[in-house]
Parts: sequence; C-alpha cells; structure tokens
Amino acid sequence: MSASDRSMAEETTLTSAAYEVADAFEANELFQRNGWTDGLPIVPPTADNVRAFLDCAALGPDEVIGVEPVRRRRITAEKVAIAAVMAGCLPQYLPVVVAIIRAMCEPQFGLHGSTASTGGAAPFIVVNGPVRTALAMNATHNVLANGGRANAAIGRSVRLFVINVLGGVPGHLDRSTLGHPGKFTFCIAEDEEDSPWIPLSVERGLPAGTSAVTVMAAESPHQIMNEWTHDPKEILDTYAAAMRANMLTYSIWEGNYAIVIPKQHRQIFAAAQWSKQDIRDYVYEVACVARREWRSVGKAAVAARKDEDRIHHALRTPDDLLVIGAGGPAGGFGAIVPPWYGKKSLAVTTQIRM
Amino acid sequence: MTLKVLDPRLGAEGAALRPAPPLTSLDGTVIALLDNAKIGTGRFYDFVSEILERDHGVREFIRRRKPDATRPVTPELLAEMSGADALVSAIGD
Repeated sequence: MSASDRSMAEETTLTSAAYEVADAFEANELFQRNGWTDGLPIVPPTADNVRAFLDCAALGPDEVIGVEPVRRRRITAEKVAIAAVMAGCLPQYLPVVVAIIRAMCEPQFGLHGSTASTGGAAPFIVVNGPVRTALAMNATHNVLANGGRANAAIGRSVRLFVINVLGGVPGHLDRSTLGHPGKFTFCIAEDEEDSPWIPLSVERGLPAGTSAVTVMAAESPHQIMNEWTHDPKEILDTYAAAMRANMLTYSIWEGNYAIVIPKQHRQIFAAAQWSKQDIRDYVYEVACVARREWRSVGKAAVAARKDEDRIHHALRTPDDLLVIGAGGPAGGFGAIVPPWYGKKSLAVTTQIRM
Repeated sequence: MTLKVLDPRLGAEGAALRPAPPLTSLDGTVIALLDNAKIGTGRFYDFVSEILERDHGVREFIRRRKPDATRPVTPELLAEMSGADALVSAIGD
C-alpha cells in the first residue's frame, strides 16, 4: 500500500456503529422500527456507499460541516453522507446537501427554533448555477412537487439529517402541530435558461456562474392563479393578496417571502421590462395590512393590544422578497412561500463547493 | 450474504450531565423563573409565584425574560439568576 493509499484509507475510516442485516428489505425495516427515517423506505447506508459519497465530495468523514448553534452539535460529513445515501441521492449530489446544511447552521437561519417550533416549518431550498444542469435538476413542470430525482433526494436528505443528526423527531424535538408536506422534501432549481432575469443567488451577492443554494425556513407554498391580464401590477396584486392573507390568517410579522413565478407570468414581466428589483419594489408597497384587519379574521382579541392603525408590511425591505423563476411553460399559476415566523429566521445563500 | 448498515444518528459529545440533588424544602428559598418570551408565560408565572410563596414559603423570586423565544438564554441572564436555589425554565407555548 502506497503512502497516498494509506492516507486515503485513513481519511475514509468511518466511526458510525454498524448493524448486520439480512438484506436491503431488512435494513429498511430496521430503520423504520428505530424511527430513523421519515416513514418512506431508505437506501441502506453501507460503509462502501458512504465512502463513495465522501470521496466524490472530497470530504473526510470527521470533517465538521457545521455546528448547530444552540445545542452545539458538531455535524460531521459522515453523518451527512449517511443521510444523503438513505434519501436516494447519487454521490455527486452530496456537495449540494453539504452546502444546504452549512447554510442552515448560520445563526440567522435559526436552525433550532425553526426545527422545534409548533409552527411546523421546512427548509425551502433553491438551487442556482451550473450544478442544476449537471445534476439534471427540475426547474419546470411540477417544480414544487415530484419532477426530478435530484430535487426529491436532495430535499429529503435534509429531513433525514434533521431527524437523525439533530434529533428533530416529531413529538420529541420537533414539536410541530401540523407541519406540511414540504417537510418530506422541498427543493427546486431556478429556470435560469428560460428567464429574463438574473439568478436569485446573483441577486443575493454571489458571482454569476457560481453554483449556490438559498435556504429559507418556510411554511407550505400557497398557489395563486391569474391568467386574465397582461398588466404586471395586476399579476403582482394576486401574489400580494396571498401574502396579505397569510399575514392575517397565519403570521403578521415581516420577514422573507419567496414567490415562484412561472414562464407565462415571466413573459408578461419581460414584455413590460420589469426586473426582479421592480417586482420587489412593487410587492413591498402593496403587501401590507392594517393591524385592525385582524378583526376580520377572528383575531379581534389581539388586534386591540397595540395600535390598530399600524400598517404591517410583509417585508422589512424590498430585498426580503426572494423572486424565483420556475414552473412549467404553460399556465398562469405561481406561488408564494411564506416565512416560518417573521424575521426569526432569515434566508441564507451560500456557494456549493464542488 | 448479509449487509452492514451504518447508524445515522449523531451521538452526544462530552460527559453525561448529572442532575443536581433536589431541594428538601422550598421554605426560605430563592427561585428563579425564566420567562421564554411567549405571550402567556408572564401571567402563568404570576400564578406560580403566588402559589410557591403562599403554600411553600419561597422567600424570593428572580424573574427574567429571554429577549427572544426562538433563541437560547444569554450568559448574562443566566449569571443574573445564578444565586437562586432552583430555576424554573419555561418551554413551549
């Protein structure tokens, strides 16, 4: 064995306990019995495939990906790779999963609070840059649902990581009252090739051509539809109405919202020469409610606690709005993705280290 | 041919914590009440402190409120409560 071979062997020495099972079926049954999965079947994480994932990402098993800021848990690459294998990833997906977890460990993301809260949030993940096409990620038809292996498996890796590494087990650390389907997987790519706009990650400060993830603690997406106008303001009035409804029926507090804009709407903005910044500026102005409007949705008991004339904006500034071009080529269907709890968690954008 | 699968969980680090010995009596004690900044906690602690003082002889309370329900208590607040014989920490809603 050469020195470099010995070095590689040492780097890939895994420390996780191993359990012997008859086959892949029994492996899944073991994980199901122990509550180590989300209820769906897993791919068995063997030493060989975990090593292959780590090698693909050039990570040592004990490399610390991040530290959970509240409970100070040091998250190792080995445990992240195990989650990715279980979720059905290919080895080349691992750098994306690692970037997502690095982003979630940034203090402004509020990982502990958003994981444990009764509010039941899920990390909403947007992927930008060349990695989208390299991994054949879906940015078009059915983008918020099933439509591509990479989207599904990368998003699911995060849930399995939360369950097994953070202890985010429902009824234990995860105190969600309802949760939402995005807690299984909630990962999209932006349709950069068929969009008039600059990518989300570039707007948020990364160089063009960089592969990146943006992660936001989010409630379930709410779909809107407007196929009856070519006026960009009227289109955005529909999105803003859904945001106002969320402010009244869920949480009035300002923070990051995301809006997912399909091609049919993007064409209207392109014809009117509206940039993402124009969209943000307009939505900031119109997505607001007066505190007294709480009275109209059954919340009179809290409306009067403070000044009822106060105007609450959905966003602290226009920059709080994440504008994402994605969705199938036909249909005037867009979506808003609301924040977990105002500004208690803020979106984080970070580069993917390939 | 069998299969060996890896444990996906992250083990706890460091030495196990041991709980402090329980107080034999609350009579004459100082109790810290840490408010988690949820909307009903202050009112709840009003009742708790009334009962502890009236029925159990607690001498004094140190009441502090976290600045943010979603973040951990700050070291400064913990230091302010360090002289208490016991601490009650609010969790959840």
